[in-house]
Amino acid sequence: MVEGYIPTSLSDALTELANHPYRLVAGGTDMLVQHHNLKTLPINFKQDVMYIANLSELQGIQEEEEFITIGACEPLESILEHPATPKLLKDTILEMASPAIRHAGTLGGNIANASPAGDSLVPLYLMNAMLEIQSKDRTRRVDIKEFITGVRKIALEPNEIITKIILDKIDFTKATFRKVGPRRSDAISKLSFAGAVTIQDNLVMDFRIAFGSVNITVVRHPEIECQFITKTVQELKQNKEHIVSLYREYIRPIDDQRSNKEYRKQVSLNLLRQFIDTI
Amino acid sequence: MSDISKSVRKTDAAEKISGKALYVDDIKLDHMHHALTVRSSIPAGLIKNIVLPELPDGYYSVGADDVSGKNVVKIIFDDQPIFPTDKVTYLHEPILLIVGPDKAKVKELVDQVKIEYEETKPVFDWVNSAIHYHFEKGDGNRVFRHAKKIISYDYETGYQEQAYIEPQGFIGYLDDDKVTLIGSIQCPYYVKNAVIQALGVEENQVRVIQPSIGGAFGGKEEFPSLMACQLAVAIQKIKQPISMMYDREEDMLVTTKRHPSKIHFEAAVDKTNQILGFQTHVGIDAGANIGLSGVVLSRSLIACTGAYTIPHLDVSGDVYLTNTVPNGAFRGFGAPQMYFAVEMFMEHIAKDLGIDPLTFRKRHLAKQGDKTSTNGTFRDPIIMEEMIEKAMEISDYQTKYKEYQDPSSHKGIGMSWFFHGCGFTGSGEANHIKAKVKLRKTKDGFVHILVAAVDMGQGIRTTLRKVVAEIIELPLERIIFDFPDTDFVPDSGPTVASRTMMIVGGLVARAAKEMKERFQEIEFTVQKQYEQPSYIKYDEATFQGDAYPAYSWGINIVEVDVDPVTYITKVLGSWSVYDVGKAIDERIVLGQADGGLAQGIAYGYLEVMRHENGVLKQKNMTDYIIPTAMDLGPMETVLYENPYAFGPYGAKGVGELTLVGGAPAVTKAIEQAIKKRIMKIPATPEYLMELVNHG
Repeated sequence: MVEGYIPTSLSDALTELANHPYRLVAGGTDMLVQHHNLKTLPINFKQDVMYIANLSELQGIQEEEEFITIGACEPLESILEHPATPKLLKDTILEMASPAIRHAGTLGGNIANASPAGDSLVPLYLMNAMLEIQSKDRTRRVDIKEFITGVRKIALEPNEIITKIILDKIDFTKATFRKVGPRRSDAISKLSFAGAVTIQDNLVMDFRIAFGSVNITVVRHPEIECQFITKTVQELKQNKEHIVSLYREYIRPIDDQRSNKEYRKQVSLNLLRQFIDTI
Repeated sequence: MSDISKSVRKTDAAEKISGKALYVDDIKLDHMHHALTVRSSIPAGLIKNIVLPELPDGYYSVGADDVSGKNVVKIIFDDQPIFPTDKVTYLHEPILLIVGPDKAKVKELVDQVKIEYEETKPVFDWVNSAIHYHFEKGDGNRVFRHAKKIISYDYETGYQEQAYIEPQGFIGYLDDDKVTLIGSIQCPYYVKNAVIQALGVEENQVRVIQPSIGGAFGGKEEFPSLMACQLAVAIQKIKQPISMMYDREEDMLVTTKRHPSKIHFEAAVDKTNQILGFQTHVGIDAGANIGLSGVVLSRSLIACTGAYTIPHLDVSGDVYLTNTVPNGAFRGFGAPQMYFAVEMFMEHIAKDLGIDPLTFRKRHLAKQGDKTSTNGTFRDPIIMEEMIEKAMEISDYQTKYKEYQDPSSHKGIGMSWFFHGCGFTGSGEANHIKAKVKLRKTKDGFVHILVAAVDMGQGIRTTLRKVVAEIIELPLERIIFDFPDTDFVPDSGPTVASRTMMIVGGLVARAAKEMKERFQEIEFTVQKQYEQPSYIKYDEATFQGDAYPAYSWGINIVEVDVDPVTYITKVLGSWSVYDVGKAIDERIVLGQADGGLAQGIAYGYLEVMRHENGVLKQKNMTDYIIPTAMDLGPMETVLYENPYAFGPYGAKGVGELTLVGGAPAVTKAIEQAIKKRIMKIPATPEYLMELVNHG
């Protein structure tokens, strides 16, 4: 029989975690589905669980001069409605699940779930999101791309909780998120794409590309992006097929019940072409 | 007299919105036990040994040895065992039940059952024909000798899952010696008759009751009989109340779906570009049992001319057995597969001949007095020409069609024409069903409708009461239509085949007319039995004669935009015009129209289900995608009145008509948008990409 623990504060949660391993449950919108049981029987958790969605320390959005911080258990719908939320993240959340699920689901939960099809991960990788992680004895910060280590694998110690997501405030000239799902709402992505560019005096000052659902985690390659910094917009556009060819080898999707690898690859690259065309 | 079409509040609206409606899983009995199913883990093989865990006191296994009657599920074609004795024919086939008071314990025991098999090579190719049909009209394929041109294409359709809101379930108990079952079902008497045969008991020892039903779409036509037989055997053995509820995933993995099909068409065209004849073959995948597949195939074959008149036909079809989950009834019943194929074929012939498809199709459109595919006669007026004009007007079809012919356009508009034969195919109503209905007036002046028709959401609890109230001239509140209970209602037949209002409602109307004349009597019952209109003659063996007493007609127009970057189809809107004789309640018919078309359009481009080596890849509502309102755009429907003499107030069938034309309308629109030919459904973005890349 598994036990459930509902902490009253973050320090209560961290103290309890220091003594006893728990599976953390935030909004539970995917975890409860993964552990579903026959109806009328309790959720089929394999180990003790701690419910952290109610902790006030893990909620809220703060806007600073250089960055914004989002509480790890802030519901997606509240992030969507907050004026400080970067537009790219709003555009992404709007495409996620359904309003009902967005009221329960959290950004920290979507990160810790580390699904290859996790939609929010794509803009978070693009924005170089930092995560603040706490245990009873220390607080550390880690880049999201160091945190997610594989399919549903994360670098979180058993005594740690993600507390905040920290995003730089960046004023992109153009930033796009495209979700390709099997229907127009409330569905898991077949693939997703995010692109962002900053142009000054017709020169590309920042250029970022990220792909979701086409590899074990989000595909992003700063070493490709930086080749095009300080190029003119025209040069960037002329290099479209070259850029596509540089990404081709990193798009390694699979066949599954939602789509096939040929489609995922071709459409990912089509979205990249379309993004460059519309800069 | 007011117009009966004027909408009233739906009888079940308040109880459903308030949450008071009781579905089967809401009904709790004292000492309720739970039954869970032990299923096969291979698609084909012989059962060598079953090793049960030690069962604690009060826990039981129930299997083939416990069947006291005949170990076969009585449907139309009795080839499905209640519990298999020696061989397994599909993955997740039910082998035995474990029953006990604690569901968690039952589940644990189910997981501990070990079944040893001798695996055999499963068959997934369509090679094992269990039923073959063939019929001709006119000169059959001999007319091909006179053809100036022969055009031939092949079409394919996939699975479709009913995705009813409420998964399948039953509870049952022993009441003295009587096995009583309450279940989520469409056909109380199918269940009752199957259970009588399974238990080998008298008719009065089985009782079947219907609670509120959360949708069915054909999925609760024959499958519940299997569950009911298993549960009844368990009740007879254990003598305790038992609940047997499927969870969504179990439901999707093991219940019947729409038959995948492969349809071959050849057309003989003369020198005036008129079609002389079709040669057609339809193959459908029955899965592991025949069940209703022969009847599904019949309806498909009979629909092979679509809404057109083709003078000469050579039509054949096969039901193939494979080691996959059995397929069965689903709204449309063989017709949706055929309408996709024949509507695309007509389009493709016209394009090959270099003729405008609309002109070509109009030249072949069926008219009153024409011979049907089975040499019956379209006796009643066909008002399709007028309806087509209306549909094109409200959708601005011609302007859009012309505009979207532009090679740079990514939009398309498609129009399907179709009919649906109302009631059972052939002489089914007269020879097999023999529907009976009763009306009973009680001392308090109330009138009770006693029929076995099930309201699964389609509104029959509202519309049948309207018919009776209108005829007897009583307020609606004085007409009672309780959920069917086989101890109290006669067998008015199954709730299927768009037959309920036209056939059952027709009988109820006849009974109401008699009741009105005798209304001064204090307490009495009127009974009526189905009589086939005398001019309807049909020979099931040769497929000759009038296959249906009446036909409902329809037109669907769908407009789409296909994204050239993602190949995703966006439905911009749809327009429908229907002749359902007479709408008994306009809002209910419009509700059927929206829901049916959504299901039909989604069948054409959205809903994907496939198996790999007998394993279904989409097994829950996360992976099996059905449309939301966002996927459909605005829907507009216009109803035409064209009363049928034997339907109440002229009513014909509604439920299936609204689904059958959706797929070809959307695929024709996609075809125009991408300028490539659609040969199979669902027309997914993956398939469209392949067409754009290669074809």
